[in-house]
Amino acid sequence: MTLTPAELTSAVSGGIGTSPQRPDGNLKVRGEFAYASDLWHEDMIWGATLRSPHPYARITSVDITEALKVPGVYAVLTADDVPGRNLYGLEHKDQPVLAVDVVRYQGEPIALVGADHPETALRAMKKIVVTYEVLEPVVDMETAVDDTPLHPGGNLVRHVPIRRGSQDVTAEVVVTGRYEVGMQDQAFLGPESGLAVPASDGSVDLYIATQWLHVDRDQIAAALGLPQEQVRLTLSGVGGAFGGREDLSMQVHACLLALHTGKPVKMVYNREESFYGHVHRHPAVLYYEHGADHTGKLVYVRTRMYLDGGAYASSTPAVVANAATLGVGPYEVDNVTVDAYGVYTNNPPCGAMRGFGAVQAGFAYESQMDKLAEALGMSPVDVRVRNAMTEGSVMPTGQVVDSAAPVAQLLKLVQDKPLPAGTSSDIRELPGGVSNTTHGEGVVRRVGYAVGIKNICFSEGYDDYSTARVRVSMVNGSLSAAVHTAACEVGQGLVTIMQQIVRTELGIERVTVLPMDTTIGNGGSTSASRQTYVTGGAVKAACALVRDKLAGRTDIGDEVIDETTEWRHRATEAIDPVTGQGNAHVQYGFAAHRAVVDVDVDLGLVRVVALDCAQDVGKALNPQAVVGQIQGGSAQGLGLAVMEEIQTSGGKVRNPSFTDYLIPTVLDMPPMSIDVLELADPHAPYGIRGVGEPPTISSTPAIVAAIRAATGLALTRVPVRPEHLTGT
Amino acid sequence: MHAFDYAAASTVRGALDLAGPGSAFLAGGTTLVDLMKLDVLTPDRVIDVNALPLKGIRLHDGALRIGALERMSDVAAHPVVRSVHPVISKALLLSASGQVRNMASIGGNLMQRTRCDYFRDVTSACNKRRPGSGCPALTGVNRNHAVLGTSDSCVATHASDVAVAFVALDAQVVLRSKDGDRVAPLEEFYRLPGSTPDRENVLGPGELIAEVVVPVLPWARHSTYLKIRDRQSYEFALTSVAAAVDVKRGVVQDVRLAAGGVAAKPWRLRAVEEALKGGVAIERTFAEAAESAVDGARPLAHNAFKTALLKRTIVRALLDAAGAR
Ligand SMILES: Cc1cc2nc3c(=O)[nH]c(=O)nc-3n(C[C@H](O)[C@H](O)[C@H](O)COP(=O)(O)OP(=O)(O)OC[C@H]3O[C@@H](n4cnc5c(N)ncnc54)[C@H](O)[C@@H]3O)c2cc1C
Ligand code: SF4
Repeated sequence: MTLTPAELTSAVSGGIGTSPQRPDGNLKVRGEFAYASDLWHEDMIWGATLRSPHPYARITSVDITEALKVPGVYAVLTADDVPGRNLYGLEHKDQPVLAVDVVRYQGEPIALVGADHPETALRAMKKIVVTYEVLEPVVDMETAVDDTPLHPGGNLVRHVPIRRGSQDVTAEVVVTGRYEVGMQDQAFLGPESGLAVPASDGSVDLYIATQWLHVDRDQIAAALGLPQEQVRLTLSGVGGAFGGREDLSMQVHACLLALHTGKPVKMVYNREESFYGHVHRHPAVLYYEHGADHTGKLVYVRTRMYLDGGAYASSTPAVVANAATLGVGPYEVDNVTVDAYGVYTNNPPCGAMRGFGAVQAGFAYESQMDKLAEALGMSPVDVRVRNAMTEGSVMPTGQVVDSAAPVAQLLKLVQDKPLPAGTSSDIRELPGGVSNTTHGEGVVRRVGYAVGIKNICFSEGYDDYSTARVRVSMVNGSLSAAVHTAACEVGQGLVTIMQQIVRTELGIERVTVLPMDTTIGNGGSTSASRQTYVTGGAVKAACALVRDKLAGRTDIGDEVIDETTEWRHRATEAIDPVTGQGNAHVQYGFAAHRAVVDVDVDLGLVRVVALDCAQDVGKALNPQAVVGQIQGGSAQGLGLAVMEEIQTSGGKVRNPSFTDYLIPTVLDMPPMSIDVLELADPHAPYGIRGVGEPPTISSTPAIVAAIRAATGLALTRVPVRPEHLTGT
Repeated sequence: MHAFDYAAASTVRGALDLAGPGSAFLAGGTTLVDLMKLDVLTPDRVIDVNALPLKGIRLHDGALRIGALERMSDVAAHPVVRSVHPVISKALLLSASGQVRNMASIGGNLMQRTRCDYFRDVTSACNKRRPGSGCPALTGVNRNHAVLGTSDSCVATHASDVAVAFVALDAQVVLRSKDGDRVAPLEEFYRLPGSTPDRENVLGPGELIAEVVVPVLPWARHSTYLKIRDRQSYEFALTSVAAAVDVKRGVVQDVRLAAGGVAAKPWRLRAVEEALKGGVAIERTFAEAAESAVDGARPLAHNAFKTALLKRTIVRALLDAAGAR
């Protein structure tokens, strides 16, 4: 007899729909969790990276002679020492492992030192003499395409046009705007780090904090000139990712040094180096025109947007596609014109960050919806509800949204939540907080709304899948399961989710999650809110195979049931390069926010008093983790709204530290009231909908809308700072 | 980090003997070690002064005396400081983070360096770090920079909060060298950048700050510190104001005011003080008096907002200190 999962669930605790404690939680809070920066090998040496101080320069010479003479130095490597392909990249192979002839951003790696102590390595590094011919950097994303070409194919990484319906229809009410989004950093707390251990047969093991083991491996192997099986990766403790670990940082460097010296090599970036060591969120300039009839129904949306990819492509093509295909937001619009451009400049490379592409567009289209509401004399919620997409709506790409799209419902849920009590007398709850700047003078409270849309999983025909292996055997007289995947736990809670799925599917309470590594097949990237969907789907599928063999037995003696399977979501397709039409996305996720904000209009200080959210997650496999994702995403959106920005000047980063790059602290973040809808998506395992990204999209525009209402200012750029509010 | 010798002194005499050109005293290390890691400071010898008896917080001879090695946290929490000069405690509590305050000393705080990013970036020019190399902040990113007391050579702010409170209260510093002690008003201890922004104060080579002496001002029991910043905690000031006001029968008898975040050194606002004396303690008086705070201000491309913001900060601080809100 084969039992169905539902019949088994009752037997075990900690299955799906419950919130078992995650194994890393207490350790992290107590400071006892082993991160990649804690990796240690008795015999190891330390690697350091010499980086360019210039955003754009020709390298005329590199002299390592003196550095090699420093006692304790094992190796000094340059581009000449890269045995394989000295170019890598997620979508375009355009980024050198070590610079050759030219550097295109400040912080670009030029040479590596391996030494007996990190300080020795740094001192030797200072003895490397690089001569540069400094060039005028390209820094303006709007004119970059016509500026000095930085790559052989010019400065256009990707142009995504979308043409739907009439291109010249007119409307009764028209609002236009130009919006800017500053460069946000993932600001993960654990800097880039890893340990490469060479083997006697010329192969190498890398212990690493990353988001995608297999794509790292493939790129490392190509750069090292090794077959893939000679490069083995094991996930180490990851201290946050948010997209910033999708690209390579020190992976190839550590392996190069290890293979060259025959020693295990550890590399850890410090905070400043980390700012140069990973990609950031694309800054953007977005032009919009919305046309509507007098009832508020959208007639058309036209937009032209620029996304600054910086020196190398990274995931710019996907970011541009998201910004374009999601560029009108969660609304029904028959006539759409989009031109989205991703460009090369000499600014820091930009790539994936939570909500990639959708965040930038979201700030702009939601600002436009508020402007439209004002022009029409409608309330911001009404104009959104009037145009809200539903199941069956058609995207600007022509794709039909074929599962729940409760946009109006989400908006009404946040609208109907009770408002917080009036302005507080506790200064901690006022703008400026403990800084003692007001006891209520100058404070104006207003409310803002926003809703957003995000594609879940990889898009545009990418053949995405994950591999899972589930093994069941008897341990101490009862069934025990082990799960193995290469899908990276980066703090989002995948380990717990996999345990929950196995418990539910097999009715086995004791579930061990094996280390994530490349000895099993690809697990895909921990990004695009996809791991619970895709790797969760793979684990579920592997469990089904195991369940068949188990056939309801609770004692299998010495037998070991061991099943591995690959699991794919339904296919997507490429979009037409001229019209942008095509079923590009797997699934859409939606969230809405209502922000209640106190603004001290004299001093320009903002206190977000409430930031309430409603989101549809299809099915909450772990309700507590869902709420955690919504809180975290909302906080990151708050950061972008009022403080987070990597400031650059002439291509150079001016605030590469956590003292100068500000992220919200607990004092800046209000308690949240969160409504979680569970409208199952029939195409997804358990009906789930990716959770991580949607809340990041709507929190920023909701907060800015409230600040606008309080100040009457246009506020077309985020982050909004005091000087933008004081009228000075 | 450059190589250096380390020596720990147990007596003031020992520390002064060890000191010389190219040496640096190490207190909490929160400025020194940070800037050594960046190669901004490259002392040949680091002299640990933490064991020196430059400690103690006491009232003596009509003055509050704070040893230079007292930690920011301890000074902020001290009952005498809190009751006699609450503005000092408030300014400290709004500085840095709890962790930094637990390490950092009062002497080190007064000696902290500017947060100007070009100063911290050794690949960049900077007159303060490398005299004569130029000041990129003049035309570069200068949102956080000063509008008062600047020169064409340097527009950096002095970032200390507690120094603003001290300057408002006419504090003095006791400086100790092999030649003995000398006393300087803190306001004059700091130099304006002029053409030599690398010389930030009058401390001689190998001279120690021993003590801060704050004359007791009985009415400064009602004193306050306001800080405008980009997030609620753990951030330097865009503008800040230390204020103490003596109001009798609704009229300002006397007042002490100083500003931070806006000037090349902790900035006493004497003209505003004069304008306030004898005035009715209401918002309009405060706003009119605050106008003169920015006389001679030299705003830059990104920090012009600081002039109006400073005036508004002054008004809020006065309202708070006068108990008018
Ligand atoms: C992240 C961060 C945030 C901060 N935020 C703020 C803020 O908001 N407000 C604020 O006011 N400050 C702030 N600071 C600065 C902080 O207050 C100072 O770093 C600290 O007070 C320095 O004290 P210390 O004992 O650690 O000094 P050290 O680093 O030990 O010394 C600093 C300098 O003073 C010299 N020195 C130390 N003691 C003496 C002495 N007795 N006599 C003569 N010279 C001496 C040293 O040689 C060195 O040059 C911040 C610092 C950090 C790192
Ligand atoms: S403002 Fe002063 S510290 Fe900053 S770069 Fe100019 S000279 Fe250097």
